Amino acid sequence: MLKVSNVYKSFDGKEVLKDVTFEIRKGEVVAIIGPSGSGKSTLLRCINLLERIDKGAIVVNGNVMVRTSDSGKAVYENDKTLRKIRLNLGLVFQNFNLFPHFSVLRNITEAPIHVAGMTRSEANKIAFELLEKMGLSDKKDAYPHQLSGGQSQRVAIARALALKPEVLFLDEPTSALDPELTIEVLKVIKKLAAEKMTMAVVTHEMNFAKEVADRIIFMDRGQIIEEGTPKMLFENPLNERTRAFIRGFNN
Amino acid sequence: MSLFIRLCQGMLVSLEIFFLTLLFSLPLGMLVALGSMSGKKLIKKPIRIYILIMRGTPLILQLVFVLYAPFYLFGINLNRFTAAIIAFVLNYAAYMSEIYRAGIESIPIGQYEAASVLGFTKFQTFFRIVLPQVVKRILPPVSNEVITLIKDTALVQVVGISELFRVAQNEASRVFSTNPLFIAGIFYFVMNWLVTKVFHSMEERLSYYR
Repeated sequence: MLKVSNVYKSFDGKEVLKDVTFEIRKGEVVAIIGPSGSGKSTLLRCINLLERIDKGAIVVNGNVMVRTSDSGKAVYENDKTLRKIRLNLGLVFQNFNLFPHFSVLRNITEAPIHVAGMTRSEANKIAFELLEKMGLSDKKDAYPHQLSGGQSQRVAIARALALKPEVLFLDEPTSALDPELTIEVLKVIKKLAAEKMTMAVVTHEMNFAKEVADRIIFMDRGQIIEEGTPKMLFENPLNERTRAFIRGFNN
Repeated sequence: MSLFIRLCQGMLVSLEIFFLTLLFSLPLGMLVALGSMSGKKLIKKPIRIYILIMRGTPLILQLVFVLYAPFYLFGINLNRFTAAIIAFVLNYAAYMSEIYRAGIESIPIGQYEAASVLGFTKFQTFFRIVLPQVVKRILPPVSNEVITLIKDTALVQVVGISELFRVAQNEASRVFSTNPLFIAGIFYFVMNWLVTKVFHSMEERLSYYR
């Protein structure tokens, strides 16, 4: 489904991703954990084309977005191709980034109509279904400033899902929320996991990762240190850094 | 009564300059703003210099310059009214562009990122996501400029156009009283009161979101 191979990325000479290689399979939920500044968010941003990598390859469903030329530099497909491939990917941000001038409904339907070319009634139908699933049917005409953080994030998830992406990425989806609102957002993500939605979640919610993820990736200083099932990683980490990180959380 | 009619005629000239200036400077200002934010130095530099000159020299001088420079440089005679409009448009587009630029730069980067992730093109992102939010944010400073423009129209008399204030001055010396000037002041005030009303209602209409 998604293949990331040997990705390198640096900002102003500082390497933030070093030889990152991993894969996400269909129907799988992957949690990416690790200390702040370990490159987790940058990795998601690179996959979603918000940052450009220096070296490596990213392939979505067999479609190459970026590969490395013989001279060792990343070569991207043209913008049009990239936009088409990107529609297979959805990204949910830490701070929602809803469009404040659109109602909840229009936040969800704008891209399906004007990017995917759906009719308004098709887009509305999908939006209503998603709002129902998010428990927000009564909020369709509200504006983002009238929503709580938890509601905003659920609208943002619905907005990303409306384009029917094959993989949904969530970048610390609950980090801007207080514990009570975190629960309602995590509930929605669990629901999606139960429906076999392919997801990659950057998170600091260790219990959530343990409970929902099929696989956990631990990153530190721009590298994937260790990956495995939650059981393996939490109960029997192989690497010293993983062990220290998880010990820190258990205390 | 004839005083009133003559002042009204002067006001029509002022209003003509006002509306034509807005008609051209509002869109031109946007192009200038986009150019001044361009990544290409070849576009950005000259535009920055243009803004610097327009904001750095008196409008009254620019009026005189636009009227006479084409004649001395190229032998072209510009009609007074056309020259006045060109000078006003160039001057106001520079001020507007800075307001637009501030508005565009105040839109959080997250809005662009969300749009990009949803597959919007740059064009769609600007017109569907960014511009509507910019309009709301810049209404107060734009209303400032528009109000100033109403009063600045009085400057066109230096190139020999009889607008409201010029007519009032002529009347004042004819009847040997300052009353026509004060009445002209009331005219300006009423026009700006209307401008304020219009902007207020636009702000109100956009207050459905934050």
